[in-house]
Amino acid sequence: MSLNPAGTATAQQKSAVNGDGKPSSQNLTPTKKPRTPKPQNAITIAVSSRALFHMEAEQRIYEQKGVEEYLRYQVEHETVPFGPGPAFAFVKALEAVNAQLRELYPNSEELFDVVLVTNNHADTGVRLINTVNHHNLFIERFCLTGGNSPIGYLKAYHTNLYLSADPEKVQEALEEGIAAATMFCPEKVRDVSETQLRVAFDGDAVLFSDESEQIYKEHGLDKFFEHEKAYENKPLDHGPLKGFLEALGKLQKKFYARGQRLDCPIRTYLVTARSAASSGARALKTLRSWGLETDEALFLAGAPKGPILEKIRPHIFFDDQMFHVEGATEMGTVAAHVPYGVAQKHRQRQPVDKKD
Amino acid sequence: MNANIVLNPGVKQKDPSRALVIAVSSHAMFELGGELKLHLQKVKQEPEPKSTVKDNEPFREGIAFPFIKAVQQVNKKLLEKNANEMLLFDVILFSNDVSPASQSRVVNSALHYDLEIGRFCFCSDKDFAASLQSNHVKLFLSTDTDEVGKALKEGFPAALLYQQRGQGTTDTLRVLFSGDVLGFSDDMAHFLREQGFSEPQLQSISTAKGAMKEFATVIGEMRRRFGREGSPLCTCLVTVWTPRDACAGALKMLRGWGLEVDEAFCLAGAPQSPILAQIQPHILYDHGLHNARNVPAQC
Repeated sequence: MSLNPAGTATAQQKSAVNGDGKPSSQNLTPTKKPRTPKPQNAITIAVSSRALFHMEAEQRIYEQKGVEEYLRYQVEHETVPFGPGPAFAFVKALEAVNAQLRELYPNSEELFDVVLVTNNHADTGVRLINTVNHHNLFIERFCLTGGNSPIGYLKAYHTNLYLSADPEKVQEALEEGIAAATMFCPEKVRDVSETQLRVAFDGDAVLFSDESEQIYKEHGLDKFFEHEKAYENKPLDHGPLKGFLEALGKLQKKFYARGQRLDCPIRTYLVTARSAASSGARALKTLRSWGLETDEALFLAGAPKGPILEKIRPHIFFDDQMFHVEGATEMGTVAAHVPYGVAQKHRQRQPVDKKD
Repeated sequence: MNANIVLNPGVKQKDPSRALVIAVSSHAMFELGGELKLHLQKVKQEPEPKSTVKDNEPFREGIAFPFIKAVQQVNKKLLEKNANEMLLFDVILFSNDVSPASQSRVVNSALHYDLEIGRFCFCSDKDFAASLQSNHVKLFLSTDTDEVGKALKEGFPAALLYQQRGQGTTDTLRVLFSGDVLGFSDDMAHFLREQGFSEPQLQSISTAKGAMKEFATVIGEMRRRFGREGSPLCTCLVTVWTPRDACAGALKMLRGWGLEVDEAFCLAGAPQSPILAQIQPHILYDHGLHNARNVPAQC
């Protein structure tokens, strides 16, 4: 078996090459799709069904009327596609990056691979697959775990990032060492780029560990500034999303190698409450010591993040504090909460059973 | 036909016209030790010299133990719902080339562990298929992929008894069906051909689809005795090579056959082993695909 060197030849082209007499209009097979990469080569993004699609009505049915009624409803509405959910634009942008990577590196498997991982029952699978078809998404890998925890499957797929609407599952994933965040959707989503993937990260307790945030919480702002200045040259420990930034950086370098530095299809942002004058240096030096960088670093010195994010228009913004997540969504940015570090101790966790 | 059928005195016989008869290889149920070598080499051997096991001591538990315990759980729950339930699992232990001395040891082992095995069938290799037939067996299970392949070649529905990790799952019976087989269609044949599947393999998959129907339909009927959650019987669908539309097609077709699937996985060529290790099925019914020789290496 030989892989077609172009990797993306259409079915029609193939039938012509093989001397197949069938007229192209009769060729029904959907072989235009490129081959899905091996999980260990790809950057695997696992999304839950509720992160990817809008399923709030169905979730209410599940909570109020139970699983049998919920599944009956799903099957009855099988041919009705779901609308986009919070992670939808992000996934579309991943696919746009993939298309550009495939053009430059046709034989490489260093691509994004999006896997739908949900604890839904298989009954919902048909409607989910119909929806993926309807929106023309390149999602070929699914796990519908029928009520069981999806965490083991995340590991089996070498998941680099897990996005879910269920904070419990996100917490479980983080505890297992998988980068994860809970998706929140703005009421009105601002338009985002369809060709350039933009990812914004908070610094402490997201890219970096929460060690400095602990100092701030226990000893206050002045002590925090003192500490950060004193330890400016000591790199912070890494946080849960450092690996994902690293993965994005690897792909960015592939574009740079082909002269696409200024208009790179991937752009990353650090959006931190640290201030440029004092505590910001340690953040930048830490990134440098890891061999990483973000395209832009925005030091807000404690100012709200919503307005600046509204200017940046990222497809997703990661923060460990709900205050900033809410601030972002209020201004139309899709934000994801990373429930990591000392900022979580002051929040109450409400367990809610969800079909995610 | 040279077959010795022994009824298990400790188990109430079920009605084979209504029960789901499954044959399990005795090598899967017990660790037959020296007997295994006998089976494979067809040569009489002395018992292993270091063995201190007496003639009538029970064999050690085999890989099929979690399976039989899970089956017993399903039967128990079925009877709890309806004391007159006839649609139950009926497990027969199948042995070929087991010496007469070991035959009674096999029966005694089953009694010792109080296993719900209805009958024991001791037959020779050449009477294997005929014995399965005459015992109304709907599915033959073995941990040996060659044994499974052989049964399939002789046109008999057969599946792999998956080796679960640790003590295995015993409170739920997990049955896995192949979405590549069940979702097979002309479109999918074209796709698989491009992946490197040969014409004989495609033909084999096509016929397998029809062969699976009977077993799948009965499992479906059993599954419907229970609700969505808390069922002791769990059905899984795994599509390894064919795209998502094959998975959707398989789900719809199974629904048409009366089988509601609990868990579904679409791998799009990703390696199976890590996913199977998570699913932990007891029965892996994929027509020998996952161990087929010359199937294109998974990416």
